[in-house]
Amino acid sequence: MLNTMTFIITDVGACLMFLKQLFRTAIKYPISSKIISEQILKVTQQSFGTTALAGFFVGAIMTIQFTLQVKEFGALGYLGGLATSGTIREVGPLLIAFMLSGKVGAFTSAELGTMRVTEQIDAIRCLGANPLSEIILPRFIGIIISSFFLLLVGLFMSIFGGLLLGLLFSGISHEEYLRHIPTIVSGWSILSGTVKCFVFAFVLAAICTYKGYSTTGGAKGVGKSVVQTAMATMVVIVLADWFTSFLGDVALTIFMGE
Amino acid sequence: MIEFNELKKSFGDREILKGLSLKVEKGEVLFILGTSGTGKSVLLKLLVGLLKATSGSIFIDTQDVTHISEEEFLPIRRKCGMVFQQPALFDSLSIFENVAFGLRKHHPDMPEDKVAARVKECLSLVQLSDIENKLPQQISYGMQKRASLARTVAVGPEILLFDEPTTGLDPITTNAVNELILDLSRKLKTTSIVVSHDMHCAIEIADRIVVLDKGEIVDQGTPEEIRNSQQPLVKEFMSEVVGHA
Repeated sequence: MLNTMTFIITDVGACLMFLKQLFRTAIKYPISSKIISEQILKVTQQSFGTTALAGFFVGAIMTIQFTLQVKEFGALGYLGGLATSGTIREVGPLLIAFMLSGKVGAFTSAELGTMRVTEQIDAIRCLGANPLSEIILPRFIGIIISSFFLLLVGLFMSIFGGLLLGLLFSGISHEEYLRHIPTIVSGWSILSGTVKCFVFAFVLAAICTYKGYSTTGGAKGVGKSVVQTAMATMVVIVLADWFTSFLGDVALTIFMGE
Repeated sequence: MIEFNELKKSFGDREILKGLSLKVEKGEVLFILGTSGTGKSVLLKLLVGLLKATSGSIFIDTQDVTHISEEEFLPIRRKCGMVFQQPALFDSLSIFENVAFGLRKHHPDMPEDKVAARVKECLSLVQLSDIENKLPQQISYGMQKRASLARTVAVGPEILLFDEPTTGLDPITTNAVNELILDLSRKLKTTSIVVSHDMHCAIEIADRIVVLDKGEIVDQGTPEEIRNSQQPLVKEFMSEVVGHA
């Protein structure tokens, strides 16, 4: 137990040091926008289909669950608003981020880990380049931008999925489904969902690049890094979700007195 | 000239190098032999700043490089080319792009036609042709090793460091790579340090051989002196040469 705690604390510290080094590098060295664009395209292409599909079903599940609840109270008219609000504020970003952590996070961690254990990163240093600006930063920025974009796509698809299932499963018209969305889904809900998407994208990029870059110990080490990336991103995303919700509540109280 | 003074390197409680002192003369082909885990590769990585020494000092042409920063190491790395134990080619880049990588980093103003000509020249130095557009995984392991050598040579280093260059190669490719090392060292007039297990090739091509055991030098000398050494570990290594003969 003590060893696990020591490992976690050391690892968190090392990750923060890595991020500090990364930001310093971003200020000092130019980063090729071409490589960043390539990364954005690569990550988006890799995950667009699955994210859209996952988003669709997240919305669908929310609608089914809310239908069962609101039907009892004869409040089916509120189904669209409630399902969309719950999806945008909480469930959508969380579930889609989990899926991206398994796909983008694991892939990046394995790719960087393999580069580390096959001495490609040492070779980059020996050939006069900085591996942080050469391979880490483009991936880091690319993952943040594309994950943010993918999370938003996932959210739109979840709204669409919710609407479709509302029509098919709950037996309400699309006007009825959409009617209360503007009243229940406030600007604050959209802002909250968007901030969460950005925070989750940052967490994902930070953990997978750090874990991949610090891999040691051959093929076994790469496997270990991938598993740790998947575990750590999920745990930290849940923690970040709680933290952003808490901060959101505090901000609401301060600015709107709610 | 390269000079290691009382060099120590530890990883946690494990002391890998225990106060090693060694001088390498300009133009010399030096072989460092020893069993696995004796600190041979660590010594090379300390020289190019991939690792930091625990204590002691390293000089390259009178410049103390022991504790200099990553940025200060850039011109040093232009001087010291390292060929890794694994080919370490970037697998998302073609062989051409791999060989051109260091050139473009060290000489950002070099025109593309000159880069292309240099890449071609270096690939022909290691007897490779018509593979420029292939990805590393599309060529054999031996070819990857040679392409890696071409990438290192392309920058025009004064010092060549080889970390077990023939590990994992068949005997024919091993001989070819050994001949290449000697050929390149003579043609390019570089100082070469070769870390190896292979006493047979050390005897064939080294100017001087250093034998390491548990982080310390146990014997050193010309191939002839090493051949006649009475040191038990050296004798054990020599039995391999007798076996070859």
